[in-house]
Amino acid sequence: MTETALELPRRRSLPRLRGRVGREAGVGLGLLAVLGLLAVLAPVLAPHSPEAIDQHRVLGGLTWAHPFGSDALGRDVLSRVLFAFRASLSISLGAVAIALAVGIPIGVAAGYFGRALDAVLMRPIDLLLAFPALLLALSLIAITGPGQLVTMFAIAAIYLPILARVVRSSTLAVASEAYVEGARARGASHLRTIVQHVVPNAIGPALVQASVLCGFALQIEAALAFIGLGAQPPTPSLGLMLFDGYQVLEQAPWADVFPGLAIAITVVAFNLVGDGLRARLDPRGITR
Amino acid sequence: MTPLLRFRSVSVRFGDVSAVDDVSLELSEGELLGLVGESGCGKTTLALATMGLLPSSATVEGAIDFRGQDLLALSEDERRRLRGDRISMVFQDPAAALDPAFSIGDQVAETIRAHRPVGRREAKARALSLLREVGIADAERRYRDAPHRLSGGMQQRVVIATALANEPSLLIADEPTTALDATIQAQILDLIRDLRRRHGTTVLLIAHDLGVVARLCRRAAVLYAGQLVETAPVERIFEAPAHPYTRALLAALPDRSRPRGALAAAAGQVPDLAAPPPGCRFAPRCPLVRDECVRRPLRTAVSSGHDVACWAAAPAASTAAGEIVAATNGGR
Repeated sequence: MTETALELPRRRSLPRLRGRVGREAGVGLGLLAVLGLLAVLAPVLAPHSPEAIDQHRVLGGLTWAHPFGSDALGRDVLSRVLFAFRASLSISLGAVAIALAVGIPIGVAAGYFGRALDAVLMRPIDLLLAFPALLLALSLIAITGPGQLVTMFAIAAIYLPILARVVRSSTLAVASEAYVEGARARGASHLRTIVQHVVPNAIGPALVQASVLCGFALQIEAALAFIGLGAQPPTPSLGLMLFDGYQVLEQAPWADVFPGLAIAITVVAFNLVGDGLRARLDPRGITR
Repeated sequence: MTPLLRFRSVSVRFGDVSAVDDVSLELSEGELLGLVGESGCGKTTLALATMGLLPSSATVEGAIDFRGQDLLALSEDERRRLRGDRISMVFQDPAAALDPAFSIGDQVAETIRAHRPVGRREAKARALSLLREVGIADAERRYRDAPHRLSGGMQQRVVIATALANEPSLLIADEPTTALDATIQAQILDLIRDLRRRHGTTVLLIAHDLGVVARLCRRAAVLYAGQLVETAPVERIFEAPAHPYTRALLAALPDRSRPRGALAAAAGQVPDLAAPPPGCRFAPRCPLVRDECVRRPLRTAVSSGHDVACWAAAPAASTAAGEIVAATNGGR
């Protein structure tokens, strides 16, 4: 009488996020895990103090004691890269987290309720989107003065409109799904429907975007520090190190190469993870 | 006895489009009524109006009494508390009606917890017994399965389980078998019939297929372009259809005695609902059209429990008879 459903290996809970990740995403995830560990353990791993000046080691080359060499003030580049990376990564992740925390509710509310609320919420977002990213960051910093915290909020302000837009459009698609109407037909309130059914299904593209943006956030942070509007010396910062190393590029390329490599590797790792997530969550490749 | 559900001159408009026009209809307690009509005739609109799930662009007039209480007069929160509890709905496409991100068991349990102050464990136990009742084999193991791991028929069983979770008085089944294979259709219809018998649930079955209605229902109502044209016991619909549209609908049923490929179809097209013809909306296609048809025909009884809204079917003293029917048709 009853149909017997096909027996297949079974999965538990949140089926769409589970399963095999692609090889690239695996490499990206592995890289991120290592990088995250390096950032967290920086104080333990760093062989020297990042601020210890050694006059005998000014622009010193690569040795066992100083594997990445020393900079113009004789500071250990490896230790500085570790600490700078730790600071830069926290700023990037913090910025993306803020942008997600503000952007998701705005995008979901605008997409789900539509009409007047959509207009009220999205017009200011469009206004933010109209500014060139760096100009937006620069004007914020011009108001408050440079610093790491400001850098974080400036990057969040750049990303907020992007993420809100992405969430809004995927929410629009999900909100018209029959299972959302079905949830309402079972007596779920709007809030419950949103939390239980809309957000879990609409959040995928935003997470993909966010993972790629994490990498770019690191670049923006470095760029702001490079032009002197981000972290201020003597705080170790990848952007500041690039600037300092740039002055002595011909005599001691290692003072520039290693912080640059740290940025490059992190951006690649985030991009790989983003691509993997995209393939996983959106097999048709709609979000580009 | 007051009917469980009573549409009193219900009209629904979307801007200029008149989707449902002056529909009056009753469902008595425990009845299984079939609402038949082609796509776009207002069946689903009527269902959504009953649920209170029409988009805000719709305006609803008239009254929908549920146990004597006009649903349209209730606040949004009061309506929400009825939905999924006293009144529930089964949708056409079960694959779309289940959230792909949640296990089937959780979706049944969620419906219970939305209306009953029960704990997680109790809701789960109840959800399990519901899944068993609708015929999900090995419910314990299936409980945590994602919807896409089930076949269409199984998915529709889960949707029915969510709809029955709180023992509703009224179940609206909107084309519950349209998206399913023919062999599975019969199983789902049998399931609905069994469940209704066991729980005494009143069912409004919406279908475009007269065969589905004939299989399940005692009484059927025929809707054309938003107007109710005929209400009758199912066998009367088949044996003695009184409305020209019902006759056209029956003539369009595939018939094995006719040569292959020769499917009958009513001449003409469904009217533009933004500018419907005055009076009877079937008039432009009707073989029996006459001068009176520009006025709205009254509902006339042609026999016991068999009402039709047609000038051609009305006896000479139609007006008076029609009024009496309109006034007393709560009787069935």
